[in-house]
Amino acid sequence: MPTITETATTSPIGRQTPRIDGPFKVSGTAMYASDFNFTGLLFAVPVEATIANGKLQKLDASEAEKMPGVRAIFHRANIGKIFRSVLQPPNSGIADERRPPLADDVIRYYGQYVAIAVADTFEAAKAAADAVRATYTKDKPNVNLDLQPESEPEAVETTHGRLKRLQSERGDPDKAFASAQVKVDQTYVTPAETHNPIELQGTIAMWDGQMLTIYEESQAVFNLRSVLAQMFGLPKENVRVITKFVGSGFGSKLWPWTHCALACAAARQLGKPVKLVLSRRMMFQSVGHRPRTQQRVRLGATNEGKLVSLMQDYLNDLDILGGYHENCGESTSYFYSVPNLRVHWGRTRRNIASPTPMRGPGAVPGLFATESAMNELADQLKIDPVRLRELNEPKIDEGKGIPFSSRHYLECLQRGGERFGWANRNAEVGSMKRDGSILGWGMSGAAWIAGRFPAQASVELRDDGSARVACGTQDIGTGTYTILAQLVSDKTGVPLNKIEVVLGDTSLPPGPISGGSLVTGSIVPAVFDAADNAITSLLTVATTEPGSPFGNRTPDDLAFEAGRVFAKADGLAKGVSVSDLLRRTNMRLVTGSGKSEGTLDEKKPKVSMHSYCCHFVEVTWQPATARLHVNRVVTVIDGGRIINPLAGRNQIEGAVVMGVGMALLEHTIYDPQNGAPINSNLADYLMAVNADAPLMEVHFLDYPDTDVNPLGARGIGEIGLAGVAAAITAATYHATGVRVRELPIRIEDLLTSSILA
Amino acid sequence: MAGLLTTAGPAITTLAQRSEKAEQELSAATKDAIPVTLHVNGQKHNLRIDPRTTLLDCLREHLHLTGSKKGCDHGQCGACTVHVNGRRMNSCLCLAAMYQGDEITTIEGVGQPGNLHPIQEAFVAHDAYQCGYCTCGQIMSAVALLSEPVGPEDAEVKEFMSGNICRCGAYQNIVEAIQSVRQSTNRQKAG
Ligand code: FES
Ligand code: FES
Repeated sequence: MPTITETATTSPIGRQTPRIDGPFKVSGTAMYASDFNFTGLLFAVPVEATIANGKLQKLDASEAEKMPGVRAIFHRANIGKIFRSVLQPPNSGIADERRPPLADDVIRYYGQYVAIAVADTFEAAKAAADAVRATYTKDKPNVNLDLQPESEPEAVETTHGRLKRLQSERGDPDKAFASAQVKVDQTYVTPAETHNPIELQGTIAMWDGQMLTIYEESQAVFNLRSVLAQMFGLPKENVRVITKFVGSGFGSKLWPWTHCALACAAARQLGKPVKLVLSRRMMFQSVGHRPRTQQRVRLGATNEGKLVSLMQDYLNDLDILGGYHENCGESTSYFYSVPNLRVHWGRTRRNIASPTPMRGPGAVPGLFATESAMNELADQLKIDPVRLRELNEPKIDEGKGIPFSSRHYLECLQRGGERFGWANRNAEVGSMKRDGSILGWGMSGAAWIAGRFPAQASVELRDDGSARVACGTQDIGTGTYTILAQLVSDKTGVPLNKIEVVLGDTSLPPGPISGGSLVTGSIVPAVFDAADNAITSLLTVATTEPGSPFGNRTPDDLAFEAGRVFAKADGLAKGVSVSDLLRRTNMRLVTGSGKSEGTLDEKKPKVSMHSYCCHFVEVTWQPATARLHVNRVVTVIDGGRIINPLAGRNQIEGAVVMGVGMALLEHTIYDPQNGAPINSNLADYLMAVNADAPLMEVHFLDYPDTDVNPLGARGIGEIGLAGVAAAITAATYHATGVRVRELPIRIEDLLTSSILA
Repeated sequence: MAGLLTTAGPAITTLAQRSEKAEQELSAATKDAIPVTLHVNGQKHNLRIDPRTTLLDCLREHLHLTGSKKGCDHGQCGACTVHVNGRRMNSCLCLAAMYQGDEITTIEGVGQPGNLHPIQEAFVAHDAYQCGYCTCGQIMSAVALLSEPVGPEDAEVKEFMSGNICRCGAYQNIVEAIQSVRQSTNRQKAG
């Protein structure tokens, strides 16, 4: 392991930096929510409905209650009051499933909780939950895969407030399409996908009569606090949420789910700490999923390949009560130059649990559709798909009519093509071979939003030369611990190994949610502001406090650099270190608070901020065994300044791996008989394993986007997944001649291939 | 925080009193417990546990060795991997009571901060994780792999590591980390 030799003068920004929390993660000492233990801890296991549509007729807990070690079986009659929560604009109190658990006897999806068993041990609680007898009146569940839009008004309520279904429109797209020289009109389908972070979701809840304390692996501790405060009728100061490490989330841990309120209610009723950890099966049933989408895309173009019309009509399915909208049109209005465009959406209700954002929500399925259509158009026109994209590169964001802050998409394409060897491509289907296999090459582009959430942070400089930075955000595996330390080190000169980072706690200054790839972009200005204020405070100490060598100066005479305070007139060499100054003045620390505003709620943004990327993919197709394998992927990211390229490359590779799963493997299947997600385990819901991972090459363009923050850093957690599936289906077509428009690609689809090795 | 004292939540119901009583009676669950002796990381533990307790739950909930993680409880993800007599096992598929007399090693016994195993150090240096939740299981598999008959190629390591799912997808770095340790051990052997 390279030892980090820090000198006070080198900034770690942009340097390959091993994670500061790494030694904890590799040794089992990093504490995830369900790792905590408390005296008197009880274990809870929920009872899941085994129908997806109907009514709970009778719940018989008599046998379960008598079982050894059982403390209680809670159900609607004895769980106590759990209130309904509501969205608190602009950005708190968010939840996809609003109905408080056990609120009524109507069952609307398979796995909905109908009771909860609490016992001294996990084994006893599980046995008791299994012994609760529920009887139902059943109706046939509707989990139909063919989506038809509900008749909804043009403006509808969603999880995030009221939205118009006509998302974007310009020119006359119908007329332009009708008279276009070349047309694509296809429907693309992406299936329900389950996030499946390896960490099971769970809650440890403690109630002391006044204060509700929760250990939960949340991607948004402050939002969880605001929802729980509402659900339990408490002032938010009386709710504390702690999340030290998160075993990833990909969106499933963004908003609160019903098990959390159940654990809190059980802790309240019993006056004991209660631990409730979901089973993997429950992770498929009640903590969200990416919904099925069905998207009709129409492209009209000239014979030369200039787009004249783009229409995207998309649908997602959702639960009976919720308001989830999968924003498949997120990047459609600005990604390409096209004078006539319309994006319109609708929804279809099903007896399924609520969907929720999953990595790159909306854009990932949306770009699968639009980028696949672009690839089909290129094939029809017989022009290189890269060339088609170059021909339609916009000068401004045509959706909003404003300039881009920093867009280098064409350079992504050029770099990616060079690294991949795209110039050697023979466009003819099935024409490229190696070692008895057919090679398929494909590409795709993608874009993802950039910006900031509001954020606050505090920075302390201490008399032992160390620093502490605190921000109520989360590290879900994206490297936020390390980035916070890098930012503080950059500003203060304190080496990384002397910086304590504290996050994941609602007792800290409110930080951004870990969603939308916006954490990094959001925290930079807040942490810089906090560090600047700590330094200002230090200079004031230097000029006012007895014991300081700068007693006869004013703060303006002084400067701070590389961890030292000095008189500008005398130069850095004659300065004193922070620890020296604090010791001389008998102070333990100085502190500064920082704050920055969000950009997402700006009414009239001046620039359009996004990240861009492209993927070039090679698959091999072995016709004899019908084996399709993704061999190698070259990805180029225009993601602003990259603060930690070591973790950054890893993020992108991980997203590409997830994209391989999306294209070839992942698919949550609902049983039409009872509405259950039937492949609700990790052997039947396939995700990419090590042997499925292609050889990956990632390049960052590293153009700072200073409209986002002073460092020019944008987030990169999601962009790497967008576009991968479209590039893989294009490569698959190139190898097999089979055009797959419904994911995942199945062997059955490819058996129609007439290409021989 | 002025309102703090006046904002206690809904009164705790009689159920709470009932549970206090149950506690005094000595939990019946403990009455059904059986004595089990486990050897974990070189230490002997005499326990009384529910016979249904898996080795994984026993490590986590009774011995508070929480480095072994539960990702599926079905032997499908590898997050719970431990060594039993030097071989890797999914501890979620083992009943604790059946491993008395065996040498069990968990991640806590492999290395701790300040004294990490070369594989652990390589995972840090190569950023072979993101969220870290699968990581202890990956490392237990990787450490075991060092003495398994695995060929020198990356492809073989990938195959041998495919029982450990990393949803964050840090696979390329996991392979790099493992190969770096294998290569330096080989160099040492050769030298
Ligand atoms: S928890 Fe044991 S294999 Fe997943
Ligand atoms: S590091 Fe997150 S699952 Fe592997």
